[in-house]
Amino acid sequence: MMDILIFILLPVLGYLAGTWAEKRHYRSIEERESRYLHLPGVTMGNVEIGETDVEKAEMVYGSVVISTDYFKRILAGLRNIFGGTVRSYETLTDRARREALLRMKEMAAGASVIVNVRIETSAISKDVSKGVACLEAIAYGTALTLRENNEIHTSVT
Amino acid sequence: MKFTPRLPEKNVNVTSGSRLWDFFLILTGLFLILACVYFTLGFAVDLIVPRISPETEYQMASYFFRQKSDKAVSEKTRMVQDLTNRMRKCSEIPYGLTVHVSESDQFNAMALPGGNILVFSKLLEKVESENELAFVLAHEMGHFANRDHLRGLGRSLVFMAISAVLFGGDSWVGALLGQSLNITEMSFSRKQETGADEYALNVLNCAYGHVGGSIDFFRKLGKYESKDIMPHYFSTHPESRKRISHLKKYGHSKGFSDGPVRPLERTSVEKTSVK
Repeated sequence: MMDILIFILLPVLGYLAGTWAEKRHYRSIEERESRYLHLPGVTMGNVEIGETDVEKAEMVYGSVVISTDYFKRILAGLRNIFGGTVRSYETLTDRARREALLRMKEMAAGASVIVNVRIETSAISKDVSKGVACLEAIAYGTALTLRENNEIHTSVT
Repeated sequence: MKFTPRLPEKNVNVTSGSRLWDFFLILTGLFLILACVYFTLGFAVDLIVPRISPETEYQMASYFFRQKSDKAVSEKTRMVQDLTNRMRKCSEIPYGLTVHVSESDQFNAMALPGGNILVFSKLLEKVESENELAFVLAHEMGHFANRDHLRGLGRSLVFMAISAVLFGGDSWVGALLGQSLNITEMSFSRKQETGADEYALNVLNCAYGHVGGSIDFFRKLGKYESKDIMPHYFSTHPESRKRISHLKKYGHSKGFSDGPVRPLERTSVEKTSVK
């Protein structure tokens, strides 16, 4: 009886708490994204900036670990049977990557542009089949601080 | 190229729609499929029961029955085994039968796949004549002949048969199936029990030339079968009185006669029941 109760309770708790945390996280992400809009992060390796114009160049990175909840896990498990897009994990990876990017930008506060940005994702868990999996996303790049009166022009090389 | 910072209008990386709805949709689909499978399995049991060969059955039996070596067989078991072998000559069962004596408070015996007969120790303690025990064994043979012992496994039979055919006798799949199955929950319908009773009477008459002692078992059944432990045996075994009257009627129509019962060689049996 207790087992059944836990079996029902965990996904319900996961859904309620998970949804609440997710909504809160998205609000925070959107708010910060517009705040950091002035600091572009680009994937290009080279930008058209003369070496003398660059005041400072440093590596910046941001990483985040986000956990799934039982509801997401069960829903993903059910999806495994029939196939299709795993919606429950889509928000998870989306949140993790955007949060990692934002943290990277926070680290680069004061810079003009972050070039050569890369994002990587990995699963953190001892044994995924036993526990609830965690997702880590890390974003890294090179933050350039330019001398004043320089506009950013980027070009692909 | 001028860099113009802007926020994306919508999140393209997350599929829109309610996840809760997704959850219920998949779950409903799953239940529908399971319901279909369960329904189909019911039909499949009747379909495959006549098609299971003794070899397949033997492999199925190893899922929940470990074959004992000759050394482990007790005197008690050997006595019942000898009686079974003698009785089998009068039945039409083409494969060998193995007797297992199980220490239990049940006044009963059971037919299990692979020609295994499970005899509970209380039955051996309380029977008064060889004929009485022979009738019970013949009754189990009736279940074998009518293949009730396979139908009694219910829907799990389908999985066991498939596993036995595909993976053979000792696979972990089979071991898992065997564990999930509770053999004491096997139940037979009244029609199956009546059929086995009639079969047993024929075998008994063939072996002893008369049917004396055939109804003794039913006289005791109500007395010794403890109601608290196995209440459903009362409902699946037709009431003892009805079975007795049916057996008398059936024996009369077949022209079977009553006769003197033979005492049971129970030296070893008594030894164990004393302690």
